[in-house]
Amino acid sequence: MSEKHTPLWRLLALGMAGTLALSACGNGDDGGNGSADGGEDIDEAEAEVDGRDNDLVIGVPLDVQDWDPIATFALAWSTQATSVFEGLVHRDLDLELQPGLAEDWEYHDDTTLEFQLREGVEFHNGEPFNADAVAYTFDRLLGEEGAQGPQQENYTAIEEVEVVDDYTVIFHLNTPDPVLLTNLSGYGGVIVPPEYMEEHGPEHFSENPVGTGPFEVTEYSRDNQTVLERNENYWDEDRIPELDTVTFRIIPEASTRLAELQTGGIDVMKEVEISQIGTVEDHDLLELDEVETPTVRALRFDVDREPVDDPRVREAINYAIDRNALIDDLRDGYGVPVASFQSELSFGFNPDLEPYPYDPDRARELIEEAGVEGEELDLYVPGDDGNAQEAVQAIAYFLEDVGLSVNIESAEQNTLNTELVPAGDAGHIHWFGWGGWTLDFHNTAWLLYSEGEFYNPSFADDQVQELLDAQRESVSEEEREEIFHELTEVLQELNPDAPLYADVYLYAINERVQNWQSPHDDRLQLEDVTVD
Amino acid sequence: MAKFILRRLFHAVIVVFVISLLIFFSIRLTGDPVAVMFAAGEPSQQAIDNLTAELGLDQPIWVQYGIFLRDLITFDLGTSFRTGQSVSSMVAATIGPTTLLAAAGMAVAILIAFPVGIVSAVKRGTVLDFGGRMFSLIGISFPNFWLGIMLILIFAVMLGWFPASGYGTPQHFVLPAITLGLILSGILSRLVRSSMLEVLNQQYIATAHSKGLRSWVVIFRHGLRNALIPTVTFMGVQFGGLLAGTVIIEQVFSWPGLGRMIIDAINARDYPVVQGGVIVLALITVAVNLLVDLSYSILNPRIKAGGSDS
Amino acid sequence: MSLQQTVPGTEDLKDSTGTEVPARQRLRAGGFWRFIRKNPSGVLGMILVGTVVICAVFAPWIAPYNPTEASLGERLADPIFADETGESRYLLGGDPLGRDLLSRIIYGARISLQVGIFGVLIAAVLGTILGLIAGYVGKWFDDFIMRAADVQLAFPFILFAIIIMSVLGGGIWVIVVLLGITYWVGFARIVRGQVVALKQLEYVEAAKASGSTGLRIVLRHIFPNVFSSVLVLATLFTAEFILLEASLTFLGLGVDPTIPSWGGMLSDSRNYIDSAWWTAVFPGVAIMLTVLGFNLLGDWLRDRLDPNIKA
Repeated sequence: MSEKHTPLWRLLALGMAGTLALSACGNGDDGGNGSADGGEDIDEAEAEVDGRDNDLVIGVPLDVQDWDPIATFALAWSTQATSVFEGLVHRDLDLELQPGLAEDWEYHDDTTLEFQLREGVEFHNGEPFNADAVAYTFDRLLGEEGAQGPQQENYTAIEEVEVVDDYTVIFHLNTPDPVLLTNLSGYGGVIVPPEYMEEHGPEHFSENPVGTGPFEVTEYSRDNQTVLERNENYWDEDRIPELDTVTFRIIPEASTRLAELQTGGIDVMKEVEISQIGTVEDHDLLELDEVETPTVRALRFDVDREPVDDPRVREAINYAIDRNALIDDLRDGYGVPVASFQSELSFGFNPDLEPYPYDPDRARELIEEAGVEGEELDLYVPGDDGNAQEAVQAIAYFLEDVGLSVNIESAEQNTLNTELVPAGDAGHIHWFGWGGWTLDFHNTAWLLYSEGEFYNPSFADDQVQELLDAQRESVSEEEREEIFHELTEVLQELNPDAPLYADVYLYAINERVQNWQSPHDDRLQLEDVTVD
Repeated sequence: MAKFILRRLFHAVIVVFVISLLIFFSIRLTGDPVAVMFAAGEPSQQAIDNLTAELGLDQPIWVQYGIFLRDLITFDLGTSFRTGQSVSSMVAATIGPTTLLAAAGMAVAILIAFPVGIVSAVKRGTVLDFGGRMFSLIGISFPNFWLGIMLILIFAVMLGWFPASGYGTPQHFVLPAITLGLILSGILSRLVRSSMLEVLNQQYIATAHSKGLRSWVVIFRHGLRNALIPTVTFMGVQFGGLLAGTVIIEQVFSWPGLGRMIIDAINARDYPVVQGGVIVLALITVAVNLLVDLSYSILNPRIKAGGSDS
Repeated sequence: MSLQQTVPGTEDLKDSTGTEVPARQRLRAGGFWRFIRKNPSGVLGMILVGTVVICAVFAPWIAPYNPTEASLGERLADPIFADETGESRYLLGGDPLGRDLLSRIIYGARISLQVGIFGVLIAAVLGTILGLIAGYVGKWFDDFIMRAADVQLAFPFILFAIIIMSVLGGGIWVIVVLLGITYWVGFARIVRGQVVALKQLEYVEAAKASGSTGLRIVLRHIFPNVFSSVLVLATLFTAEFILLEASLTFLGLGVDPTIPSWGGMLSDSRNYIDSAWWTAVFPGVAIMLTVLGFNLLGDWLRDRLDPNIKA
């Protein structure tokens, strides 16, 4: 839709044509072209990259901050760290679990898991990878050091890691854990070099990481950039990177990130905003790549508050929102309507469950039935999330259309999620985005619907709780899937929230980049990428 | 003189102390860093308690403040919750880029403001004067982030003259320094103009004229020197404000500076970094002001009674 | 620094209650056109500020559309003058939710003026009172005011505001109060300086000698004299506050997004700057012209009333 707009620079270019004619001439072969198209040519000429050969530069909004795997939960960490560290298990770009640093594994029973480790693998500093490194990693994660970080909690099912021989370890679990293997593919589960860590300490490690991955970190400058170099000794000869170096540049402002992409300062831009799609699409040298994600955006209700304690009001709100309009009109079609708090990528997704249709008449009926016409609802939204701000303004409009009144309140993102929501102080409705990186509905459902959980100040239902407990105690995929399907149906009846859409991540790529594949889960894997 | 210096030092200590109180307690109102760190997980109470204790947040708040002050005296700013690095090293890494940006902005401001201010003053009441004053007022009428984004659009995206963002080469300084400098030049050119006017009205300029010295020579020899004093004062007084004014420009231009680090730290509830960063900013401001005052009282003994104090 | 010079503005305002401003005399005597020719910047400032005030007061009558009514089908509609499809009904185009940008800009004048004027009002009243007391009473209270000024100078406002707004949330009144309680120091300093100088003047000495009380002297003789400086500073601070509101909103801490604030519009539109330039350009121009208007006015007032204050 953006194509019909006249770009600003075209107007400006016409206005400045006189004064800037000279400079435009010096700028390339299109200087003599004074027509409106001239502007576009300038634009394209600039996206050409000089001074880089077999190197890739990626513009990302957030920095790693702390490379130590036990000290982080940030998606921004895995964006870079996936190239540097590896776990026993590798999750590929299709989200399938593959052998990583372990060649093979086998469950002896529900709580005993044996790994056969890969031989001949070295860390970037030359230290050998073996069973001791695995044991060290998990002792550290589950011990005192790990207790100081947020990752330990994801691995508490592990009782002990037993070293059988140099290349065999057995994980003894204290309880069955259906998502353990997934957890071993990243974050706290990645293997760190024992000698290096002992010699230099965690503070040094957090800025000078060493792993076994296909790239090694050669320069890290916080909030500025990270430079990775190809690991020539990488154990998988098929996956030795094609690129010489990869540079991550930290550029928090989306508009600046796009400007860098347009001018050839970066080759790939992570997190293209919906509002920038038109610019990328109009640009001949840039391509837009979309990828589905596990992240769902939803409105959640504080079911303790009048009038949303009335299930009819929550149902009415679900009917009142035109999800397709939100996606098509506000997001240029980027987004997938969802019926529960998970996307297609999530284990437990119920393909038979339809999202609420847009039915304002039904909504009005329900609101009349509940006798709450004209009541004012407070809707909390993160102040620094432009997409959310746009969406809630449209939603306010939908709700006003069916007889409710909405008062939007902005709060800082962390204040909203970690102070207001847990305390039940986030109004009647709040905006919430969540995507479990385990890609298993357990993570989301447990946090949002289990009674008394941090993010769940008010919702409680016996049937929901039973289902949640049941899936947690099972390792049978079939059984768990069935439970999750039932759970999503029950939740749609109860309406503790109004799921809106599953996010689509957008990457913009300079055409010199080949074999790019955008990850579903933020974990860039760059081994196959080449540049012209 | 010694008494004056002692007195000013005493004031400086009070100011830093008050700021340490303000920042220490206000940042603790923003929320629990442990909750932010666990935002994506399913922490047990045990894990939350462990981390709270590890970060020293389980102690009474006055004890925490006492520890903070005690460490501050030995220039130990603590350890970042988020990065595990010492705050001193994080501040050391970011103060350079911020100071350089501030200095570059100041240089741009001077390059613009002196010619504009001098021409305005000498050609007082003419169209040139009006134009100069309009220019300086327009300079301070832009929202700085908007100006920054517009400059990126025009000079990086459209014309391709300068890089849009980042830090490293001299070219990277151009756009952020111009953004900062344009805004500063608005204030500075007014200062230059008014101090030039003061000089031009004074007796010795008329005398110089009557001696037949060419007017531009007079203006430069006497006027410029006179205009330098308020300029230096302005830079001194504004230096702290300038460092803070770079905050938004750092955000727009992805500049790895102190202001951006503090904002990120506020959002992440990384108390030690916020405290350390703000205290360092305050120390610099106070020190610069002290130096300006001292050099003042040396240059101009009449105001030695205590500078701004009466 | 102004101690040795004549006290600002005293010639013009010595016996007045504030009504006899010279500008007015000039108007009567010399006529309208002469006033304009003599004071181009003042007149331009008045026109700009006047326009904004009119927009703010009469917004419901001036604005062609409802500024909060979304119309998703008209998302980012082109401005009429740049519209090639002929479908757009919005003079300055539509915003990301299909609302009329012009109407939002007109209503936005209300927010900016509210922030500017109420923020300044708090700061000016607080600062003037404290400055009067500090200057007149002196001693420890004076010391206290001066240290507060130093603290304000050394603690960057933006950072303080981010912290407080993380706690209290956004909203226009939070911003107003924050600005007010931070920037009173500017007024206090100027008022205090003038009071210290005025105190030593003959007529104040005379009033003291004739047995007037302190409060009476301050109110009768000193306050009218510092009023002009306060007015000048208030005008300039209004300009600055409007910019600060925009900056805070840019950092995601400003007012409710349905409320049409210029800062909010600018901040929301930054990513549309390429594809829908009008959403970024027009609110920016609105802020720029308004701030310019206040600055012109303040500058002009300073030249007329108070040649000694420096920025």
